[in-house]
Amino acid sequence: MMTKNIRREDMSRAVIVHAILLTYTLVALYPIFLVIINAFKSRKGIFSAPMSLPNAETFSLEGFTKVLARSNFELFFFNSFTVTVVTIVIVLLLASMAAWALSEYKFPGNTWLALYLAVGIMVPIRLGSVSILNLIVELGLINTLTALILVYVAQGLPLAIFILTEFMHQIPKDLKEAARCDGVGEFKIFFAVILPLIRPAVATVAVFTMIPIWNDLWFPLILAPGDGKQTITLGIQQFIGQYVTDWNAVLASLSLAIIPILILYLIFSRQLIRGLTSGAVK
Amino acid sequence: MADLKLDQIRKSYGAVDVLHGIDLDVKDGEFVVFVGPSGCGKSTLLRIIAGLEDITGGDLMIGGDVVNTKSPRDRGIAMVFQSYALYPHMTVYKNMAFGLKLANHDKSAIDQRVREAARILQLDQLLDRRPSELSGGQRQRVAIGRAIVRQPKVFLFDEPLSNLDAALRVQTRIEIAKLHQELESTIVYVTHDQVEAMTLADKIVVMNAGNVEQVGSPMQLYHHPQTRFVAGFIGSPAMNFTTVHIDAVEQGRVTVTVPGGAKAVLPFDVPAGDVGKDVELGVRPEHLSPGEQGDLSISGEVDVVEKLGDSTYLYLKLANGDRFTVRAPGHSRIKIGETVSAAAEAGASHLFDANGKAYDKLQCPAEYSADE
Amino acid sequence: MAHSGPMTDWRKAKLPVFAFLAPATIIYTLFMIYPLIDSIRLSFYATPSGGEMAFVGFDNYRTILGDPDWSATFWNSFWNNMKFFAVHMLVQNPIGIALAGILSLPQLRFRNTYRTMMIMPTMLSVVIVGFIWQLILSPVWGVGVDILDIFGLKSLFGPWLGKEGSALITLSFISVWQWVGIPLMLIYAALLAIPDDLVDAAIVDGATHFEVFLHIKLPLVLPTVAMVSILTFVGNFNAFDLIYAVKGALAGPNFSTDIMGTLFYRTFFGYQLQLGDPSLGATVASLMFLIILAGVLFYLFAVQRRLARYQL
Repeated sequence: MMTKNIRREDMSRAVIVHAILLTYTLVALYPIFLVIINAFKSRKGIFSAPMSLPNAETFSLEGFTKVLARSNFELFFFNSFTVTVVTIVIVLLLASMAAWALSEYKFPGNTWLALYLAVGIMVPIRLGSVSILNLIVELGLINTLTALILVYVAQGLPLAIFILTEFMHQIPKDLKEAARCDGVGEFKIFFAVILPLIRPAVATVAVFTMIPIWNDLWFPLILAPGDGKQTITLGIQQFIGQYVTDWNAVLASLSLAIIPILILYLIFSRQLIRGLTSGAVK
Repeated sequence: MADLKLDQIRKSYGAVDVLHGIDLDVKDGEFVVFVGPSGCGKSTLLRIIAGLEDITGGDLMIGGDVVNTKSPRDRGIAMVFQSYALYPHMTVYKNMAFGLKLANHDKSAIDQRVREAARILQLDQLLDRRPSELSGGQRQRVAIGRAIVRQPKVFLFDEPLSNLDAALRVQTRIEIAKLHQELESTIVYVTHDQVEAMTLADKIVVMNAGNVEQVGSPMQLYHHPQTRFVAGFIGSPAMNFTTVHIDAVEQGRVTVTVPGGAKAVLPFDVPAGDVGKDVELGVRPEHLSPGEQGDLSISGEVDVVEKLGDSTYLYLKLANGDRFTVRAPGHSRIKIGETVSAAAEAGASHLFDANGKAYDKLQCPAEYSADE
Repeated sequence: MAHSGPMTDWRKAKLPVFAFLAPATIIYTLFMIYPLIDSIRLSFYATPSGGEMAFVGFDNYRTILGDPDWSATFWNSFWNNMKFFAVHMLVQNPIGIALAGILSLPQLRFRNTYRTMMIMPTMLSVVIVGFIWQLILSPVWGVGVDILDIFGLKSLFGPWLGKEGSALITLSFISVWQWVGIPLMLIYAALLAIPDDLVDAAIVDGATHFEVFLHIKLPLVLPTVAMVSILTFVGNFNAFDLIYAVKGALAGPNFSTDIMGTLFYRTFFGYQLQLGDPSLGATVASLMFLIILAGVLFYLFAVQRRLARYQL
């Protein structure tokens, strides 16, 4: 009964569409899949049957044991985590304060300041690295996570301020006026009334700030390459550089870097995508 | 132009049934209006006719051909949307020419049709403008023009006047009526405004919760509503309703007690078994005259008076708490707090049973009948 | 939504406003704007071996652009970067747009699942992506051969990453593989903003879904496409991580994968045979800045002005 009312062209179109989408999904996921399944194999298994899943014969965790023994993956992870989280918190706080000031108060130079702060969105911060390194050395912060945090905060502020300013423009006027009528001071208005209201935009800001930091190789390489301070990206790069012929270890280390991200991604994908799309279209 | 036939059209979204078997015949050149409250399914039905939604069951025929599986392009229909849906990046000319260009008509034919439609709708000066540069009324006309150039078998209108302000609405309504006369086109029009329905339609389809309540000409629906719903929906201000008690039934006559205790003899065919029951009486405000006696008299206390100049509306509170609206002459001096008795002729009343179905009315005087 | 612009006069609240703006502005200026300007300043200085840093005018620029060795290296990396950018514009963005168009088709089942899966590579670190592909394309492992064998294309396989003629293109495709997610998401979001009514009207006008995309959707998202293009440009000319991870600072074989980012790093930090030179490094950075600025200005004036944002 239903099929009588579905056009033949619609059905063939649906087949083609899903074929294209499936093909691309395969292209996107298969390489990742390959790496992960082979990380759980013995060296023999990796080479003899690379495309099959690990079975009783080929299953092995030797790659992982090697990695965890020879390198300090937990530390790398901890470093990345610390830098990312601290940066996000600072960016959120400073950017919302600045965005609030820009969107709420009329003062001479408001537009120019906003433009000044927005320039950073397009300009790559790396170009100033020569001077950044000089500055960090002079401040005595070379090889510290603090250096990374400071630089990443500077990097993340422009876009965060932009997103939050747009967001704050949409807060209904009545809310702000009501708070003022109650005779609440300006600081209190911000911390008690406005800050809780930006929760929806937090996801957007967090996503845009987090991804470039977590995956960055450049600044950890330049500012904090020393032992014990490597982020996970730098750590993997150095590890693989060192053990490049040890396939188990290499595959295992890659998996250790991939799997946490994948899990986080799958859990938070909806918020992540909402963050990416809502902020970016502006 | 072509005729349109709906045969037991059903529509479900998953487990939810939205249309429960709609039958309808639309003759070539007829102006049919689907009217009903929000959610009654009228827009869904229109989209099904257009081919924008699939049919779950039943058959749809345009010009004699079953078009269930045909794409909108192959059905010979054109549609005017509530939001106009003009392509913002194209000029008025290109908006109207778009469909023809896709169908590979040659340029001179396209040009001729577009300019002809522009002439009819007085858009000649606006052909090079973009939609953002037009007023609401102008955009509406471009949307209509886009439909006209395609020379469709059936025109579909989806609440086209809802986004216009009151004055523009009346003006555009007249233009649509004149367009119908000039093009002699088959039109299916959806609206929630019963005034639009009454003024434009050859035939009105009143819908409620996925069902057709009644199909008929505007006058038929006004004078002979078959259900309580139709009676309350058609006519502005709405018909008054109150509960009355059936005292006695005779051949072609029923005696009822109205709120307040008065009795009235009304010309309805009521089965003997309904004696003693409480049923609903309906009578339109414009059929009630204040301060007079008649076949049907109802009295109540005036608690609101609305003066409009040409008429005055009195809101009476009846003995049983129901409210009745009475249309009095503009110069009426009746004040709030007065107790007023309003009367109507027996033939102007309507009676509805417990299921909302109208009892047959016998002996209808000419001024309360739709027969010509 | 009602856009309430700055409403309150600041004079009643000078201290709070200042306090709100200061931290962000200070950090931003100190660690982003000042270093940039200072780098440009440094490019006009040089430190001869054993001596003090002194002002040398445009000498550094003359070296980079004029000295035969430097010039060759510089222009090599510039044109490599342009090839890198070209591959992204010709492959990454059209694929992203096409996939976004398909995902935006009405009544598509599993839409969100597809979308989540397809942008997974974008979430990974560039370094990881580089290594994954290095492994898969490695002749030693052989997985790449096996995969091509499925399609009967075994003979096509070669050590692409190792050969001078193919290394850059291969790396470009690897980068495309990772970053398709960005145009995909941005264009998809823009397509979602198009009212359903417009699509319905076009269908009633007789358009197939492809014609709807071509004539209605695509023109309406052109501003976003332009934005994606400029983001691609800036991102590509800033790229470094992938090449460094796969090929190291030398960007071999024979500098065939050298792009501006790796040139900058090498000049600034030095490598095996050459000491790092901060002044020359700053010069390279300034030149990169000029190139990127040229692109952005072109976008802002020539492109964005022409593309009116249509009021939907």
